[in-house]
This record gives sequence, C-alpha cells and structure tokens, in this order.
Amino acid sequence: MNFSKTIFRSVIIFILTLSFSNISNSVEKNYYKDLITDWSRIFPDSNRNAAGPKFFKYIIDKDINYEDFIEYNKLYCAVSGSLIDPNSDPDFLFISERGTKNKICGNYYKCCIPCSCDIMKYSEVERMKYKFKDGIKEFFVFTIKNPCNKEDFPNRVNKDYFCDGEKINNKQVYDLNGRIVIGLLHNGKSCRKDDIDFVKSHQITGRFCEFRNNTPIENLEAGMGDIFIKLAR
Amino acid sequence: MKIRIINYLKKLVVLFFLLIPNNLHADFFEDITSQIAENPKRLSYGVSVTDINQDGNFDFIVTGFGYLNLALSYENGKLINIVNQKKFSDEFRRTIGVAACDIDRDGYEEIYFLNTDTYSGTKKYSDRLIDLDKGNFIDLFEIEKNQKDLNLTAGRSVVCVDRKGDGNYGVYVANYGGPTRYYEYNDDIIVDKSVQLNLAKVTGGRAVVAGHIISDKIDIFAANERGANFLYKNDEGKFLDVAYEYRVQDVLQNGRGTALSDIYYRGRLDILNGNWGGFHRAYVLKNDIFEDIAKPPFDEPSRIRTVISADLDNDGYDEIFLNNIGEPNKLFRILENGLVKQIPVDIGLEPDGYGTGAAVADIDNDGILELLVSHGESRDQPLSLYKAKVNPQHKYLRIKPLNKYGAPARGATVTLISNLRKHSKTIDSGSGYLCQMEPVAHYGIRKNEKNIKIEVRWTNGKTKMISVKNLNQTITLKQNN
Repeated sequence: MNFSKTIFRSVIIFILTLSFSNISNSVEKNYYKDLITDWSRIFPDSNRNAAGPKFFKYIIDKDINYEDFIEYNKLYCAVSGSLIDPNSDPDFLFISERGTKNKICGNYYKCCIPCSCDIMKYSEVERMKYKFKDGIKEFFVFTIKNPCNKEDFPNRVNKDYFCDGEKINNKQVYDLNGRIVIGLLHNGKSCRKDDIDFVKSHQITGRFCEFRNNTPIENLEAGMGDIFIKLAR
Repeated sequence: MKIRIINYLKKLVVLFFLLIPNNLHADFFEDITSQIAENPKRLSYGVSVTDINQDGNFDFIVTGFGYLNLALSYENGKLINIVNQKKFSDEFRRTIGVAACDIDRDGYEEIYFLNTDTYSGTKKYSDRLIDLDKGNFIDLFEIEKNQKDLNLTAGRSVVCVDRKGDGNYGVYVANYGGPTRYYEYNDDIIVDKSVQLNLAKVTGGRAVVAGHIISDKIDIFAANERGANFLYKNDEGKFLDVAYEYRVQDVLQNGRGTALSDIYYRGRLDILNGNWGGFHRAYVLKNDIFEDIAKPPFDEPSRIRTVISADLDNDGYDEIFLNNIGEPNKLFRILENGLVKQIPVDIGLEPDGYGTGAAVADIDNDGILELLVSHGESRDQPLSLYKAKVNPQHKYLRIKPLNKYGAPARGATVTLISNLRKHSKTIDSGSGYLCQMEPVAHYGIRKNEKNIKIEVRWTNGKTKMISVKNLNQTITLKQNN
C-alpha cells in the first residue's frame, strides 16, 4: 500500500512540475543577468577600465547571502573590469598575503590570460570579515595600495571612481585598511608545496607570467593589464 | 487491496486529464498562408498596416530588400498585391523599415519607407515618403523643396510621433552609425528637426516605439545596439533622454524588437524589449524606475527580431510573439501579476524560418487578428500568415481612434476598464523592429467580464470615456477639435 501511495505522490509531483515548467516565474537567480542589467548603475560614465573595485563594492553593498556573494564575484575581472562569461574556468594561482608575506593559493576568475600575471605581481591578498544575510564570513580579497596621490594616475581610468582627493573614495570602492579591494580570491588558503609547484609549472601562471612580469611596462601589448599596472604599481 | 489500487489509478487518470493539457497541446495557430495569392520566395523585412488605397480597410505593406514593396489587400478570401507603381514598389532601393501616419494632416496616412543599402553609416539612396495623390503614389522626398534634409544614413526602424499632441505627426528615423533624424511637415516643406528637438544622437539604432510611456504626451523609447538605449521624455514637444534615470539604458545588450504592453493589466503601458542574443526584458514602471521582471523562459537569449504583444486568441489575455531569425519563434501569454507562460506551438514555430518582420491586423474583418510574418536577410523565403484557433464563444471588441483630422490616432492609448481588468493598449506608431501593427486596440473579452468602459487617451493627454454594451464590433472614436 505504501508503495502505491509513493507512486501516486511521485506522479502528482511529476505532473505538477510539467504543468508549471513553462511559466515564467522561476526564482532561480541569474547573477550574470543582474550584472548586465545594473552595468549602467555601476559605471554611469561607461568607463570600466581597471574598475574591478567598482564591481566588488556594488556586490558587497547588495543585501545578499554569502553564496550570492561568491557567485557574483566569479563574473568580473578584478584587473580589467570586464564581465566574464558564466561558467568560465578560473586560474589557480598564489599571491602574497599582506603583512605576513605568506603565499595564499586560490582561484581567480579572469577575462584574459595576462590578468592572472598582473594580479599575482601587483596586488596582495588580505583576510576580510563581513556580515552577510546568513552570517559573518571570512575570506581573502585582492587589494592594491591607495593610488590617489599618484602623479602618473592612468588617464584612461576614472579617478573619481577610486579617489576623493588623496583619500580612497569609500562610497565608490571598498576601503580595507587603507587599501582598495579589487576582487575576491576564491577558495583562498595557505599554499602547500605542491600547490606552489603546480602554479609555477603551469603554462600560464608559470612560464607565461614569468615572461610577462619581466617585460617592461612600455612593451606590454596584451590585455588591459597595462592600465591596471599603472594604477597598482 | 485491489480496489484501493484501482481507486488510486482512477485519481491519477483524472489528474492527468486536468493538468496535462498544458503540455499535450492542440496547436494555437492555423496556417492560412495559402490565402496569400502570389507568394514567391523573396527577401522581405518590415511590415506595416495601413489603409493604402483609402477604401476603409487595412492592408499589409511588406517591404522588399531588392524585391518589390508589396501592398497586400484582402479581396475575396485572398491577400492580393494591389500596388504596382514604381515609386511604391521600388525594387532597387532596398527597403527594410516602414511606418505609416498622417504627416500632411489630410486624414490619410503617408508611408515612410526606410531604405538601407549599407549596414552602417552613409548610404547611396535616401528614404521615401509615399503619398497617394489622385490615384498616383508620389515620393514627397523627390520634390525639390524637400530635398534639403534627405536621410543618407543607414537605418533600421521608423516611428511616428505626434510630439505636440496636435495631430502633426513627425517621423523619428533610427539610424545606424549616423545621427537620428526627425522629419516633420512644416509650412508645406519636410524638414529635419532632430537637432532642435534634442534627438540627433549617433548610435546603432535598431527599434523605436512611441506612446504614453512616462508622460501624458508622446514619449519615445529607442532600443539601440552597441550603445545605451534612449528613453525620451516629452518636454513640451522637445525631448529629454532619461534612460539612465529610469534604468533602461541596458548598455551591454543589443536592442531589437520592442513593444509597448500593459504587462500587469493595470492601465498603463510598459515595455517589452527583445535583445539580440541577450536577455529579453519586460520593463514595468515601479516608483519611477523601470524594473525588468522578465524570467525564463521568456528572457532567454535568442536571435530576436520583431516582438508583438496582442490578444491573438480573443481570450482577454495578451500573447507575446517573439519572431526569431534562424531559430524557432516563441509564443507566450501574459497572465495576471506579470506571469508570462510559454504556449507550445508547432504551427508558427518556423524552426527554419528566417523571420525579419511581423505584424498583426484583422485583415479579413472577422474579429480575429491575422499574423503576417516576413522572412529574408540571409535566405529568401515566402511570407507566412497565421491565425489563432479561436474558441467560437470568445467575444471581442475593437477600438479604432481617429484624430481630429480623421487619421488613425497613432500613439493614443486605449484602456478597457471592466470588473476584471484595466487593460491599456497603444495605437501602434511603429516600430517594434522595422514593423508597425494595425492602428486598432483589439481586445478579446474574458469569461464573466462585464461593465465594460473604454477610455482613450489622445496624443495630447486628454481623455474620452465611453460605455460599451454590445460586443463583437469595431468602435470608431473621433477626437474632438
């Protein structure tokens, strides 16, 4: 008898699912669509050069839970400010932790290959705690030093996004201990030796980045990274 | 034990027949393409609906890209091309956009043919503005005094705008890679007023619609490619772009088919906006901001062309027809509270169709809309004609507003008010992407609907209300002077 009831219930659920599957009231989140929809709010002047920090600030200011925060932060490039196609694969890399100089390993979602090199060389990671809808969480974020007193602030970057005079404009970007947060290091953790070996031997984070990071900035031709480098160096 | 199992099975059978019809569907459309008398393969684009021969009946105007422009009139059960005059047919100028409105205030609509012989920027041949003069079609742009401001930029869509609400229609031309044009007939001369009206922006113009969007006068929404959309608020006849403030810029999407639709059945026009390979939008105004409430499957990216919102099956709920090119079309129904439900179709799906335009009109005057779909661009294909299979018990009401000159009041808003809904429709000005619908508000009547009133908001913002007692008719409402 219980078997019959189970079948009956299963069939009802199946039929109801079929019946409502073509109704456009799904509550499934589409993070990518959200960012596309709000792009003009994030970049009112349409200049997103090196503006990963604007995405980070926009996302963390949303009333969201930690999972949403993680998913949104997979969809933009912290270096260039470009959107990234959903389902893109990240690069596994290491980066120096501010203060301790320990190597922290994790995943970085990039728009193009050179950005992985640039973020490894010109940014640091810091631990950050934040209260989301589902509680306080701790994670690693990429930061760069305050660029606002630079004499050679890159002219292709909207300085007003980052700076209020010589101070960080914390209405537009996230200020963590006097540095600008530019993005999230996913699944950050202290590196093990085999992690470091993997990164160093990888064709991008190893060989290519070594080449790129030893090229004078005036000779860099690939990626948006040269703008970012001028901002972050 | 056996009896209980049989009882369960009986319940299952009942549930099956109650719920499964959503999926095992009878076809929504009937294919009546055979009613088109001559229907060779061709490259067609935009479609408009107007009374081309001034006989009181609407005709489909179908543009041809290197093919003849057609005027399909319904005669003896067939759609027959009734115009073969050179200025109109114009095989060589490659027409893609079309809209009709009464520009010279004689009570009859002129036809604006937007010609495009190049993808972007400067083009070779200008557009045509066709008028019927003593039985002959003439091009007003060929008259010497009107040649000062010819449009020699590639474009896509055109929309008619009665910007001052006085029945003096201008034509907004959505150009691609050059400034927008706005033509008006002043002192017997056609002039471009785009600069003085703040409309002369350069963008990748695609679709454009006009109506009561955010003000009591005629506003304009332009869906663009490789650039922000425009939302022009009518400011005493001039225009102010407020797309950023109203959050419809959608910079990263490439606009295509767009239609004004009362998505919440609340007595106001909101915006349906298809994006090429991007998220389709259902913008509804909330607290002076347009919020996109579109969800899957409606918002899923497709190769979208024309978007039509109309009650095709006379059930009192509007359908949304998404005409795609090189992939299947889609059909949805707008239910209450903004829910949009996909209607499965086989007929009208056109999986191999290269849809380039579509328009609806009750071309045979039977109270049911016909849907004409044009094809072309990268494959020559014949036209298609569909009609919904309508429950014979469904009733309808058609409202045809005419302005003070006796011309279709394009841009006016008609609202049906009853015990069940407050449902607004625009009298289509163009150009949900290259196309323009019939200038009639077509309503199916819902079950148990009563106490029906009709309000018309004219292009000057003033309103007129009537009570309706008899259904299954077309009511013509004339604007007072």
